[in-house]
Amino acid sequence: MVKIVVVGGGWAGCAAALAAAKCGADVVLLERTDLLLGTGLVGGIFRNNGRYTAAEEAIAMGGGDMFVAMDANARHKDIKFPGHNHASLYDVTTMEPLIRKVLQNYGIVIKTKARVVDIIKYGKKVQGVILDNGEITTGDAFVDTTGSAGPMGNCLRYGNGCAMCILRCPSFGPRISLTALAEIKEIMGQKMDGTYGAMSGSCKINKDSLGEELRVKLEKEGVAVLPIPENIQRKSSLGKKACSQYALPEYAANLILLDTGHAKLMTSYFPLDDLRTIPGLESARYEDPYAGGIGNSMRYLGIAPSNNSLQVLGMDNLFCAGEKSLILVGHTEAVVTGLLCGHNAVRYCLDMQYLELPRTIACGDFIMFVHECMNQDEGLKLRYTFAGAAYFERMKNLSLYSTSRAEISARVAEAGLTDIYNTCLI
Amino acid sequence: MKNLSLYCIDINSRYCPCLLAETNHCVFCSQLKGEESCNCNWQGVCVLYEQHWQKKNSAHTKEPLRSEITTKFSITEELAKDIYLLKFSVPQELAKELNKPGAFVFLRAPGDEHFCRFPVGVMKVSENEAYVVIEKIGPKSTRLFFNNNTELVVRGPYHNGMFGQPWIDKITGGKILLIAGGMGQPPALPAAIKLSQNHNKIVAVLAPGKVGHIFIAKELANLGIDLRPVVSMRKNGLPLLKELLIEKPDLIVSAGPDEQHYAIVNVLQDQGLDIPMAATNNAPMCCGEGICGSCIKETNDNKKIRTCKVQTDFTYLIPY
Ligand SMILES: Cc1cc2nc3c(=O)[nH]c(=O)nc-3n(C[C@H](O)[C@H](O)[C@H](O)COP(=O)(O)OP(=O)(O)OC[C@H]3O[C@@H](n4cnc5c(N)ncnc54)[C@H](O)[C@@H]3O)c2cc1C
Ligand code: FES
Repeated sequence: MVKIVVVGGGWAGCAAALAAAKCGADVVLLERTDLLLGTGLVGGIFRNNGRYTAAEEAIAMGGGDMFVAMDANARHKDIKFPGHNHASLYDVTTMEPLIRKVLQNYGIVIKTKARVVDIIKYGKKVQGVILDNGEITTGDAFVDTTGSAGPMGNCLRYGNGCAMCILRCPSFGPRISLTALAEIKEIMGQKMDGTYGAMSGSCKINKDSLGEELRVKLEKEGVAVLPIPENIQRKSSLGKKACSQYALPEYAANLILLDTGHAKLMTSYFPLDDLRTIPGLESARYEDPYAGGIGNSMRYLGIAPSNNSLQVLGMDNLFCAGEKSLILVGHTEAVVTGLLCGHNAVRYCLDMQYLELPRTIACGDFIMFVHECMNQDEGLKLRYTFAGAAYFERMKNLSLYSTSRAEISARVAEAGLTDIYNTCLI
Repeated sequence: MKNLSLYCIDINSRYCPCLLAETNHCVFCSQLKGEESCNCNWQGVCVLYEQHWQKKNSAHTKEPLRSEITTKFSITEELAKDIYLLKFSVPQELAKELNKPGAFVFLRAPGDEHFCRFPVGVMKVSENEAYVVIEKIGPKSTRLFFNNNTELVVRGPYHNGMFGQPWIDKITGGKILLIAGGMGQPPALPAAIKLSQNHNKIVAVLAPGKVGHIFIAKELANLGIDLRPVVSMRKNGLPLLKELLIEKPDLIVSAGPDEQHYAIVNVLQDQGLDIPMAATNNAPMCCGEGICGSCIKETNDNKKIRTCKVQTDFTYLIPY
């Protein structure tokens, strides 16, 4: 029997576990907090711009379960906001139990409050991981999907301090990278000014604290755009943000609110006193991070070097996905890399050739392109996503962007990848 | 509980972050070691954060690291030639801090230079009186009694007098084998008190050692501990140990010289037993703050640790 151990239960880890289970492996998923989805517990936007194409590719390849669950749990579908088309918003307050059920249905063993703190390694092989209670979990191949956000010291040194985000480092202990434990040197993302890290790009207001009129409008339309009075606009903060697709001038002049279950505010942080001068927000309070008036979590501090099969360079049986693997932003990006990495972890155990996604589909081009960019210093200062900025431009230029299910599945079929993730390998 | 990774005994105490953090030599926080990002495994309050807030506040609150007070001492008993049981009174707060396994202080005579101070394990604290046993063995300990001196400067509290101390603090309702010889007796007593408070069943093998005298027997008996005095640890104690190991204790506490620790580890290895062992820290020390380097030991994976501050499993300090 093949046993895959996935460390980190964000979207990337959930997708990796799913893909490995679909191949027929025994899968254990270890998550340090008491909830799956990681930063996916506070995001919610998907299918916007090129993410639509990526999601449909994953569906055509047989790895669509996560997107089917997001679609089924969407509060709003096909909405527009500045720079973004045909976006869906999943309900962040109810998503986690659904995904847990999906994974359990595939027989995946989920262990929460299970933080990996050490590794047992022999040469280039990981033999086991050690949890903070001393328990050892052995396996044939391992997946590092520990993300790149926090912990507290990083948020302090590179950001404005711990703002008490959903990762809850003080309660569950700091994020620990499996790759770093394996003594592989990690890559650090940078801000435009060359300092390390990038701040998460959105914070959430408690919906019940909004003015009645605004709340009703937001729940009905999914989006609300509020002009920011000139005296409190901050033009310089955009470079600090993780999400370059939202670094548009519209976002400096307006507050953009989205209904994801919370009122998602498309800016890293916004001083509470200023926020409350805006009509409709007189009584606003933050839901995530709790100190959303001061700062937000810092990300991209520790990315594993990997090849296009998402195998960690320098190790044989260690694979990575999500923010741990590339300077990428997004649930969709985490899921599509997670699927590939979980699938390849099983291929490693069976001595099979690794799967690489070709450049003729967006997911394949994305992984290769981001790897190429990360080899250049300037490339470390950008963030990559199907939803905007440099990569969405590229998608359009290469005609990879499409919202036609038929067209996308034809491309996947041409690449010989139809239902590849649904194929039992064992 | 078997795995004890290296950690600083002072972490998150009022003595943390310390002088080491100021110059990027913290033994715990990767960023306060000069690394670029977080890479620690600490589940308590973030040390970098503490440093950040302390810096902000430092204008009005720069307390000295540890208190240093001058106090009179009296010799309550001469246990053997050149070995004395001393008592001296300390402020209530310090007394409380010293009433723990592994606690120690630095002592020197008032007129002496700071570098004359030496570490002494605290045997017992009663009301505000601390009891210690001192052997006049080198220049520092001899100076304390020089010219009929009756006063001492006590600096403390320090806490890393026992490797594996978290085991002693945490175990409840277990079977304990306590092995104490000679000058290992004073630090054995606080460990025994803590262990019996936590409802552990303790068997103690006691040897007089160089002191020629078993002087904690009465106190141990009062705790209801099963005493097995022997004449010589090497000749009788170790064979007895082998017999007692049949009972499979949950924890062994070795209080005595390093040779005793080594001998016990050997017996355990011979018998193929993997039982955690707490052991007294016998390293020479001078500053107690991780600065001077007198207490450095090398672990068997070649890390140099400053044992005045860093907790570890004693067996990591035995070369392979
Ligand atoms: C505030 C915010 C809003 C966002 N909004 C959106 C959005 O609307 N749409 C979108 O597409 N993207 C959004 N993103 C980005 C998106 O959430 C992430 O890029 C993506 O979800 C990353 O997934 P991941 O699995 O790689 O990492 P993470 O979600 O960070 O998951 C890592 C997981 O690993 C666990 N872990 C870490 N160390 C250990 C260890 N040693 N042992 C066990 N477990 C460990 C962590 O607890 C965590 O659960 C948002 C991000 C943030 C922070
Ligand atoms: S005694 Fe000075 S460094 Fe430990």
